[in-house]
Amino acid sequence: MQLLTLVSFLASASLASAGLIPLETELPKPSYKGTPVPIQVENLEPPRVGERPPIMVPEGTVNLSLGKPVTSSDEWPIIGEPDYITDGDKQAEEGYYVELGPDLQWVQIDLEQESEIHAIFMWHYHAQARVYHDVVVQIATDPDFESGVVTVFNNDHDNSAGMGVGKDLAYIESHEGRAIEVKGVKGQYVRLYSNGNTSDGMNHYIEVEVFGTP
Amino acid sequence: MNPIPEDPKREFSLSRRDFIRTSMAAGTGLLMTGPAILHGQASSSVTRDLKVAIIGTGSQGRVLLEACAGIPNIQFVAVCDMWDYSLRYGQGILRKRGFKPNPYEDYQEMLSKESDLDAVIIATPDFMHAEQTNACLRAGINVYCEKMMSNSIDGARSMVQTARETGKLLQVGHQRRSNPRYLHAKHRMLGDAKLLGRITHINGQWNRAVGEDLGWPNRHEIKPDRLARFGYENMHQFRNWRWFKQYSGGPISDLGAHQIDIYNWFLGTPPKSIMASGGLDYYKDRDWYDNAMVVYEYDTAQGPVRAFYQVLTTTSAGGGYFEYFMGTEGSLRISENPAYTAAFREANAPEWESHVREGIVRMSAPKTAAAPTLKPWEKPRPGQAAANAAPTVVDVRETAALSEWELPVQLDKAIHQPHLENFFDAIRNGTPLNSPGEVGLETLATVLKVNEAIAAEKKLRFDPMDFRI
Repeated sequence: MQLLTLVSFLASASLASAGLIPLETELPKPSYKGTPVPIQVENLEPPRVGERPPIMVPEGTVNLSLGKPVTSSDEWPIIGEPDYITDGDKQAEEGYYVELGPDLQWVQIDLEQESEIHAIFMWHYHAQARVYHDVVVQIATDPDFESGVVTVFNNDHDNSAGMGVGKDLAYIESHEGRAIEVKGVKGQYVRLYSNGNTSDGMNHYIEVEVFGTP
Repeated sequence: MNPIPEDPKREFSLSRRDFIRTSMAAGTGLLMTGPAILHGQASSSVTRDLKVAIIGTGSQGRVLLEACAGIPNIQFVAVCDMWDYSLRYGQGILRKRGFKPNPYEDYQEMLSKESDLDAVIIATPDFMHAEQTNACLRAGINVYCEKMMSNSIDGARSMVQTARETGKLLQVGHQRRSNPRYLHAKHRMLGDAKLLGRITHINGQWNRAVGEDLGWPNRHEIKPDRLARFGYENMHQFRNWRWFKQYSGGPISDLGAHQIDIYNWFLGTPPKSIMASGGLDYYKDRDWYDNAMVVYEYDTAQGPVRAFYQVLTTTSAGGGYFEYFMGTEGSLRISENPAYTAAFREANAPEWESHVREGIVRMSAPKTAAAPTLKPWEKPRPGQAAANAAPTVVDVRETAALSEWELPVQLDKAIHQPHLENFFDAIRNGTPLNSPGEVGLETLATVLKVNEAIAAEKKLRFDPMDFRI
């Protein structure tokens, strides 16, 4: 235990000396409602033990996406509007999420200037324990994502989304959302894909936060 | 009517829409179901697409729309909801499925303008079911009505009466009655094989963790005069109607109705008496009992059966929701969640090898310590691994552990889909309904008596007339 404490102290001291601090964001309240729907997913991650480890980011890192414009592959969502995704509201109630149609869909955030990105948090829909398929997150300098694309998360284990096999694991939605460490990738546009979910086949987004330095 | 404005841009790719519909139609088929009762008049051999409307596209209505996505040869032509948010939602889902439904906020206007409907799906709050069902039946339309059939026995009786008078079909949404696993249990395990011996007791539950009230964003709040016009006191009650007496029968009706329906179905008779305890012990600003514990007594052809049921809304303890039938030779724990379903043979009962050969049960896969009772969304609890790995000391006074068996039938569709298929097949081909109005009435009378028994604080007897019109 003493050794662990020492290692932890040295690591913290090292990170602090590098100007890194733990990234914090405000979590919505837990919102699971109703009876869970059984989940059968091949590449589901095992339950996490303990708290989510913090993502260390440079001092001065801020939420770059708040209030920024959002577009989507579904020009006419089933319900809600794409700009809910960057409105800062993470509630899972009716009326706070945008629901895109079935199959592979994406949403794209324009940070309005090229930035150094250190972390991305995303909440699809967290009022029910469910898994979204083929979650892929990319950063690019090109709004059409045809060049300079960096994939920072991909749990498409069978390449059904057609962007390559990903090594990240599928995960169950909760109020914590999913935190992705990005390590300073530069870009202006962030695109997030999904391909339906284990409850209803549609694609939902409540909020996405892109943290970085302008 | 205040229809949602048509936007020409929403006429997105026809090819994509056609693709979705084509792919939905392929690979689906109608479920063959077990013995059932036929009521009402069915059109014989309707080969065209059935024209369908839905009234109520809140959370349950959307579940039914999702279940309908796998059913071919139905065409949604109208959608109705008094909340513009839900109306847009339902319309949006159906558009994605390739339909162009006419939107209505008032079901009466829908009935006056949609003159050629074959079927209406009703998924509104319980207090509206009788009025809407009766109006649809009288308009010559077959009805699939979500359970609870009504919030009153008089309402339910009127629905059965109207179905009989009009000769139209009324299916009540007790969807377990069309689930192939439940049909297998009822007809093969308990019927043909009599696997459990004499059933003497039942235990069942639906336990849910604490949940907050449903809310709404300001941008979608309904004005008070409009709420009043549709029968609601305020927005809070509108969103949380399941907890208020003027709209619903409470948790025992919302959750217990599904399972107590199975008690009656599997035993082949409603109960003769009831005792119950419950209360509004935890939540504030709600009407209905947040917990209920019930004992029914049945007289069956094989002898008396005592059946316990509990619905708790402050804990998910005990594995969520299941019905557990206990007999002299074995037990059956069954649930819509296959993970909670298993059969158990008593150690002194005849071997079940012949039943394995006949496809009635199959051997359970060995359980490992790494596959405990954790649900996927649960985190390991402190000490759990150690407890699982610890050697078990068996007290010699205990009955030997029961051998565990699996049911060889699984449902590979949305859980409501077979019940909707049964309904549409009844319209099209005269297939018997699995849950006609008479069944819904019997279940409703059995379930709503719980609230009466809690209030009475004493044992109540059922009159056979309670279950009839």
